[in-house]
Amino acid sequence: MEIVFAGFGGQGVLTSGLIVSEMALEEGKNVTWMPAYGPTMRGGKAYSVVKYMDGMIGGPDMEEIDILVAMNQPSLEYASLMKDGGLIVINSDHVDDDVKIDEKYDVIRIPCLTLAQKVNNPKAANIVAIGAMIKKCGLFPPEQAKAALRKIFTEKGKGKYADMNEAAFMEGYDGV
Amino acid sequence: MKKMWKGNHAIAEAALRAGCQFYAGYPITPQTEVSEYLSARMPELGRKFLQAENEMAAVYMIYGAYACGMRSMTSSSGPGFSLKQEGIAYLCANNYPSVLVNVQRWGPGLGTLDSAQTDYLRDTRGGGNGDYRVIVLAPNSIQETVDLMYEVFDLAEKYRNPVEILSEAALGQMMEPVEFPEFKERTEDLGWTFDGTNRPHGRIANPDKPRMVKEKYERIAAEEQRWESYQVEDAEYIFVAFGLPSRTARNAVDQLRAKGQKAGLIRPITVWPFPYNAFKEAKGNVKAFISVESTDAGQLIEDVALAAKKEFETNIPVYGLFSGQKIPKTKEITEFCERVIAGQEKEVF
Repeated sequence: MEIVFAGFGGQGVLTSGLIVSEMALEEGKNVTWMPAYGPTMRGGKAYSVVKYMDGMIGGPDMEEIDILVAMNQPSLEYASLMKDGGLIVINSDHVDDDVKIDEKYDVIRIPCLTLAQKVNNPKAANIVAIGAMIKKCGLFPPEQAKAALRKIFTEKGKGKYADMNEAAFMEGYDGV
Repeated sequence: MKKMWKGNHAIAEAALRAGCQFYAGYPITPQTEVSEYLSARMPELGRKFLQAENEMAAVYMIYGAYACGMRSMTSSSGPGFSLKQEGIAYLCANNYPSVLVNVQRWGPGLGTLDSAQTDYLRDTRGGGNGDYRVIVLAPNSIQETVDLMYEVFDLAEKYRNPVEILSEAALGQMMEPVEFPEFKERTEDLGWTFDGTNRPHGRIANPDKPRMVKEKYERIAAEEQRWESYQVEDAEYIFVAFGLPSRTARNAVDQLRAKGQKAGLIRPITVWPFPYNAFKEAKGNVKAFISVESTDAGQLIEDVALAAKKEFETNIPVYGLFSGQKIPKTKEITEFCERVIAGQEKEVF
């Protein structure tokens, strides 16, 4: 499984990758997480690539993407690296409604920021997107996903936001 | 249970568990997280961390520390590592151990921040003035980075020679599940260090030195070659790759085997000493070697050609897939091999 989370720096796309890595690790999979690094900044281009499987993982960078989570419009450029039939999760708050997506891809459009704001957690648009992706693909049971979410933020010393983040996750999960 | 660790943080933690008492370095992307991590962790453990005024100062600080027997290391990336070469040559001149980490980035000069293997020839050939070699280990996963790091101080002290971990930008920046070994410490005296008495120390101006150098490197070459082979025994087309390209090359072996092609992979873990012995395992009708590397014009390929000449009586062609400032993709490697099979690529050696 190869998942790319892409957006502006500051939209939490690196953290998105960490959260999903944790879920895969809990299942005993081999996992790699790779950030876009170097001269990036808040508002610049950012992405993370997560790969997980039972066998050995090859390169950690993008090769053939199964799922692209596009938090903004420029992120759709990575669609050219997708497998046919792959899923694109589009944050419709930052991507125009009339953007054409090739019909060979499955697409869900979800207003991640609007839904995150609804639960008073506007920073968690990335987590809304994860909820939507997991519901659509059935990648992990929701309880396992929520446990991983809690663990990641607790380890970062941000455990007090766990309930708010879980609420954002459920907005995405129920929003599909 | 394994936890996700960033490569640069993991190598730093592993160094501490291996008994590193002193670190000196100077920041440079994509290696800075090694220093950053140690700057917080070493004081916690009562060990010494120092951000030096520059790279050359850092290498001389570990030179001094190791002269007194203190497990010490420095780390950098391509350009910073160039600046350390004078000090590395001095370490070798004095038969001092030390541990060096190079998280490579692409290019000569300033280069870029992209992942690459373009320091291969410099680092496996010594790099500074004089005839010397550094033992160079090239991991291809974060767990292997940790496991090798745990051994390198012992290796450096065994041969009284610097040992380098040759990492890559992507391997430093990515995360993978990792398990760490327990903390260990060397308590015995190395026997030759400055200890306040007047006991014999390394002598540079020793007329017997050329012979001693040759003997030492021959002993290291005989005893320390490490590699991993994958489907090599009956292989007709053998990839040679280290570090991250070895992972995509291994997947390419699987894809080619599924299509009925007898492909295999030799993955050097020591790139100096180069694992010539690995080539003895190829017992099939070898038709080509293909060096797969993140360089522009080919570097590893020179060692592959030497190994092919040393271990085979017939002249086996050596091809090169050079992916520049990125990790070659599995598909690119598979397609390159198919073109070699179809006679559409030209050999380099």
